Amino acid sequence: MTGPSFSIVGPDRIHTLTLLLQQTLAVTRRLLLEQWRQGRGLIFWAVFPALMMLLFGLVYAHNASMRAGLDAAAAGILMGAALFFSCLGGTVAIVAAERERRTLRRLLVSPLLPAAYFLGVVVAQTLLAALQVVVLGVIAYAIGARYHGSVALGVAIVVLSVFAYVGMGFYFGARFAKRSEEVVVALSAFGVPLLVLGGTFFPLELMPQAMQTVARFDPILHMNQALKGVAAYGLGVAELRTELALLVAFCGVALVLGVRSYGQLLAAEHGT
Amino acid sequence: MTALLQISGLRKRFGAREVLQGLDLAVEPGEIVGLLGPNGCGKSTTLNIVSGLLQADAGQVLIAGQPVSARSAALVGYCPQDSALYRDLLPAENLDFFVRLYGLPAAQRKTRVDELMQRFGLLPHAATRAGRLSSGWQQRLSLAVALVHAPPVLILDEPTSAVDVEARRLLWTLIASLRESGTTILLTSHLLAEAERLCSRVALMQGGRIVAIDSVAGLQARVPAQAVVELQTAHEPATLQRAAELGWAVRRYGGRLCCLLPQAASLREVVQALDGAGVTAVSVLPVTLEHAYLELLGADGAA
Repeated sequence: MTGPSFSIVGPDRIHTLTLLLQQTLAVTRRLLLEQWRQGRGLIFWAVFPALMMLLFGLVYAHNASMRAGLDAAAAGILMGAALFFSCLGGTVAIVAAERERRTLRRLLVSPLLPAAYFLGVVVAQTLLAALQVVVLGVIAYAIGARYHGSVALGVAIVVLSVFAYVGMGFYFGARFAKRSEEVVVALSAFGVPLLVLGGTFFPLELMPQAMQTVARFDPILHMNQALKGVAAYGLGVAELRTELALLVAFCGVALVLGVRSYGQLLAAEHGT
Repeated sequence: MTALLQISGLRKRFGAREVLQGLDLAVEPGEIVGLLGPNGCGKSTTLNIVSGLLQADAGQVLIAGQPVSARSAALVGYCPQDSALYRDLLPAENLDFFVRLYGLPAAQRKTRVDELMQRFGLLPHAATRAGRLSSGWQQRLSLAVALVHAPPVLILDEPTSAVDVEARRLLWTLIASLRESGTTILLTSHLLAEAERLCSRVALMQGGRIVAIDSVAGLQARVPAQAVVELQTAHEPATLQRAAELGWAVRRYGGRLCCLLPQAASLREVVQALDGAGVTAVSVLPVTLEHAYLELLGADGAA
């Protein structure tokens, strides 16, 4: 082949940060392009929270005594149902597919920095989450829900939650989901109970005391309560410090677990 | 000439099994070297180590004088057996993704992708997603992906094992053209015809070592025969006795009874020589790479 000017490209020639940025954007671009091409997949990510919001909205609108819960329901659906499935489930599916179609080995031979791959997935999932926030927000507003707190704090909670979900997605994807088909089963088996326990579909107060005690160990509960606190009750950092601290801690743990598991997956692929 | 790819004393163990037992190989610029051998002989392990996917327990791999590491990614292109493409992306999008990973400046990316699309004949399929291409076209795209950064060394792991005969021949032409343009290629294959067609040299591997390495003609010359007679017999003892009387060595190549002729002979001469020895079918063949493979790897041994 005629050798173009980049025949030898490596950290000695290009600053690592520039390469990291370029590769991160390449991974993000590829993932979004794949989502766009899958068409239905992208629509489903938008339809799912929209339908959930509509159904919950109808239930709350029908029961006058529960109307106050509508604002909180929107936050719960976004955090528990929409972001959980798209960011956590989506990341598990990405890792499983990369392994299944053997592109992971191809990536390993390339100079792709592991951090760039990780960040690329995070950015792509954050953008998809933004799409879900917009769709869900419009529908929630249309059926009467209102946002009462700081937008910046709400965005920060959503972004932290996306990071935490993606971190967990890498953890589960690298450790457990060997094939794409296993993703749906794993999410149904472990994810849905965590969502129920996390107060996504009905408030914590409706649960028996023992269940409430167990629920406090479910990180999704604290993510839900943080966003509900801001969105539905206009609470600030001071009032939500416990929930926010738990969210930051969970996010940190999830990212560490995710990065380590991804590293182990790469090492295992290197060894096969 | 200095070797572009130099492998010395390569060892690799998986559990109790030593898959590579001190493999040495030097590949010179512009060569296509094929690794052939039975399953488990260490072909794929060798490729994985050269491409940086696997670490050797001992020994060294140098590409252009540099030890293989994460930093040598730009020196090696890897084309796996299964095409390993992003199925929902178009051919150019697959190429563009990998071009970006190699850090090509934005101004040159499109030019490079266009060049590869043109060179690999992918333009008529530009609007077809990779997953909807036929296996032959997928493999062609996979080859293009392996070359996005114009590596001096290309690793091909059974490049045509999953494609039909027609696509295989087209891929062979493409791979041969890469050699003509100076790319050095190390490939594995189970198809002896592929090695015969493409390889400058063929390394026969067994038990984690290279048993013989030479050009195809050189390997064929190691078979002690000018021609090989493949035959079927209704009375094997009589046939074997006649072969011994004629001074023909007897082998079982792939279960077929074969005689090695020390001098070339016509079919008529062979039929006459075997008359009355129970032979029911006979063919006289030139010595092929398959004969050399079976002879040198001792796959069947003397009858």
